Amino acid sequence: MSAFHAVKAVMIPLLWLCAASVWAELAIVGARVYTVTAPEPLEEATILIADGRVEQVGKDLSVPFEYRRIDAEGKIVTPAFIESYSHFGLIEIEGEATTNDAALLEYPLGPGFDVSLALNPASTLIAINRMDGVSRAITAPRPGVDALAGLAAAVSLGTGDFLLEPKTALFGHIGAASAELAGGSRAAVMQRLGRALDEAARFSPSRYRAGPGDYSRHDMAALKAFLRSGKPLVVGVDRAAEIRQAIRLADAHDLRLILLGGAEAWRVREALAAADAAVIVRTHDNLPRNFESLGARLDNAALLHEAGVDVVFTAAETHNARNLRQLAGNAVAYGLPWSAALDGLTRRAARIWGMNGVGTLTPGSIADLVIWNGDPLELTTWAEQVIIDGQAMPMRSRQTQLFERYQDLSKPYGYIQ
Amino acid sequence: MKTPVGALLATLQTGLALAAAPYESTYVPQPAEATLIRGVAVLTGAGDALEQADVLLKDARIAAIAASGAAAEPASARVIDGRGKWLTPGIIDVHSHLGAYPSPGVASTSDGNEMTAANTAEVWVEHSVWPQDPQFGLALAGGVTTLHILPGSANLFGGRGVTLKNVPARTMQGMKFPSAPQSLKMACGENPKRVYGERMQAPMTRMGNVAGYRAAWAEASAYRDQRQQFESGEAEAPPERNLTLDTLAAVLDGEILVHNHCYRADEMAVMMDIALEFGYAITAFHHAVESYKIADLLASANICSAVWADWWGFKLEAFDGISQNAALIDAAGACAIIHSDSAEGIQRLNQEAAKAMTAGRRQGMAISDALAMSWITGNAAKALGIAEETGTLSIGKAADAVLWDRHPFSVYARAEKVWIDGHLHYDRSDPTRQPVSDFDLGQTVAGGER
Repeated sequence: MSAFHAVKAVMIPLLWLCAASVWAELAIVGARVYTVTAPEPLEEATILIADGRVEQVGKDLSVPFEYRRIDAEGKIVTPAFIESYSHFGLIEIEGEATTNDAALLEYPLGPGFDVSLALNPASTLIAINRMDGVSRAITAPRPGVDALAGLAAAVSLGTGDFLLEPKTALFGHIGAASAELAGGSRAAVMQRLGRALDEAARFSPSRYRAGPGDYSRHDMAALKAFLRSGKPLVVGVDRAAEIRQAIRLADAHDLRLILLGGAEAWRVREALAAADAAVIVRTHDNLPRNFESLGARLDNAALLHEAGVDVVFTAAETHNARNLRQLAGNAVAYGLPWSAALDGLTRRAARIWGMNGVGTLTPGSIADLVIWNGDPLELTTWAEQVIIDGQAMPMRSRQTQLFERYQDLSKPYGYIQ
Repeated sequence: MKTPVGALLATLQTGLALAAAPYESTYVPQPAEATLIRGVAVLTGAGDALEQADVLLKDARIAAIAASGAAAEPASARVIDGRGKWLTPGIIDVHSHLGAYPSPGVASTSDGNEMTAANTAEVWVEHSVWPQDPQFGLALAGGVTTLHILPGSANLFGGRGVTLKNVPARTMQGMKFPSAPQSLKMACGENPKRVYGERMQAPMTRMGNVAGYRAAWAEASAYRDQRQQFESGEAEAPPERNLTLDTLAAVLDGEILVHNHCYRADEMAVMMDIALEFGYAITAFHHAVESYKIADLLASANICSAVWADWWGFKLEAFDGISQNAALIDAAGACAIIHSDSAEGIQRLNQEAAKAMTAGRRQGMAISDALAMSWITGNAAKALGIAEETGTLSIGKAADAVLWDRHPFSVYARAEKVWIDGHLHYDRSDPTRQPVSDFDLGQTVAGGER
């Protein structure tokens, strides 16, 4: 290799990385574009991006000379995907308590637990999942000791600000685990939640006296603020009977309801549709893994969608949130229309989480999108370029660095080449 | 011994026989209708692909594989139009806990790990297997015909594993794969040292782990020597029977295969030294998220790596897991296997193999579909010591096969039909050919609808 080529080999990636953050204007040319809003994809379309937003989408658009042109002929472009339940920025290594801020293992806080204060934007999970087309996520508290786990945040997996919005939803859970902590019966969980929401509505710090087992002043204040915020209540719940209870609870307190999991949600789909509730589905959840999930089945998403219930997705495993598209693909294999799966990964998720301007590719949309080399739900497809807020993301992560280090074991070991 | 005709008929009808020796398999293949699948695309599991072939399943064996139109059609054969479809060997999972950690997963069914001592080589996981676990039927719907059940990983020596045929049966023995060797589950790293260290018992450290393995092998070697001395007449009495040492001695005798849970490359290298010191072979490292770092060593030592497609980060020893692990292992000439270790993952091993293959391709590696298929079939059979019987679509092998409605590496693919020893054990279009466990009867959802 000549000296010139050696220099060039180093320079090109450097230039490219700089370019990613410097070039404000991009043109993606020639792809099949799923705008999500149009019923059919646009063939051989051009997307112009400026100032972090989609400027224009369509055929035969002229590309201004100053735009960085990305040839995407034969590729597929979709909005980037939204993970509706994760712990991004809260967990680095599951088994290491010192890297885990997602759950409260004792009771200092209930509904007032605000995960946004612990977020770590340097987490390696961000780049690893971003490379596979995940651009935004809800990062939420885990079920802890209380039926109300706390307040979730909306985050971006781009290279800009990580926290998009704190206190974007209140997460809780109803089932055997929360029942145990409420004294051993699911009935007690419902009574506790109902009473807390009633009291929070008329909560006044000076008059409130917490009895044994009652929420603290701080929690009650947080609950009151939540009730006034119009944000959704997300309830982790599987058994059909408890889902009906959750619908009643939300209705009684005029709350927008989103189910997390909902293994038996298909059994009460009419009631969920009537209540305008959404369900965050984990498609692979088909095991009768406990006595609350005996009705779990792979076509849960399809049955819910058919009944008019909004379905969005989670991998429920933050390290591999990148498998969202596999989960959505399996929902399609079991009856969900492909377009509904794409909608659940993009526009519909943006809508239920109040992420304005995200999830579609129309003029004015925030430019979060992915150039795929095939059907994005297929396992043999990968993301060739991820763009978030109009910026081409570096397609590198700690994992690609490990790959590069070990792909040739005959190389000198232990230094970054 | 001649079997009376009546007893033979009863056996064929019920699939249940009395064992000739304790703990033996009583599996009886079900009657197999000759079946000809015409014009089907084939991934053989041995690294080959056939675009359009006729495959004949007859007398529980693969009787013919021929270019389309060339296979003779037996007068009585059922003919299936395979055009536009794919045929693969039955999928084999080398790492499962079905039956031992069944669904529902409640305290009273948690039978997968005897976490009461660092060395429980005396336990056999088959004695925990509940054949009514509804998860077996779900795995069958995913094309899994053979699975290896292992005890958990909290111990240095977790006990013996067992290979099962994925058939509905009233007893565990009725599922046991005849002729398959048992395994010994060993575990490195964080799990044993955490579980026992927290109790202020040995091992508490990785060096404690290694001392524990070595002490056990030293004891087993002495036990085996004493037994041999008795057998050759050099000693007057055999050593007192010890169930723990029986298992380890059987490993030293080459009768039981070592399946070693181990994440980190450096620890695998130490385990290879221990095997060298005591003269046993490691058949496969399981989980092995860092095999790609020592793929050359594993290739020279002829040790398989049974890995996930993409799991990582759930504990520190899994932090360096990368999706190209299987691809890099294979490229180094070592044996790569995709395993599930999951009652969900086992339903989609074809998808897991597809992801692992794609991760390699994304980095510019050339990996054929046919090669990646061997990661969940042929290579898995090799690691379980049953490669002569199953794992590839080869003439003379067991008719364990899956017909897929499209390419099995598509996310949309579903297994349409699954044969075990030529018997159609699962048919997606026929509810009477979908196993429903006792547990599922009368519940919200019967097995087949899941």
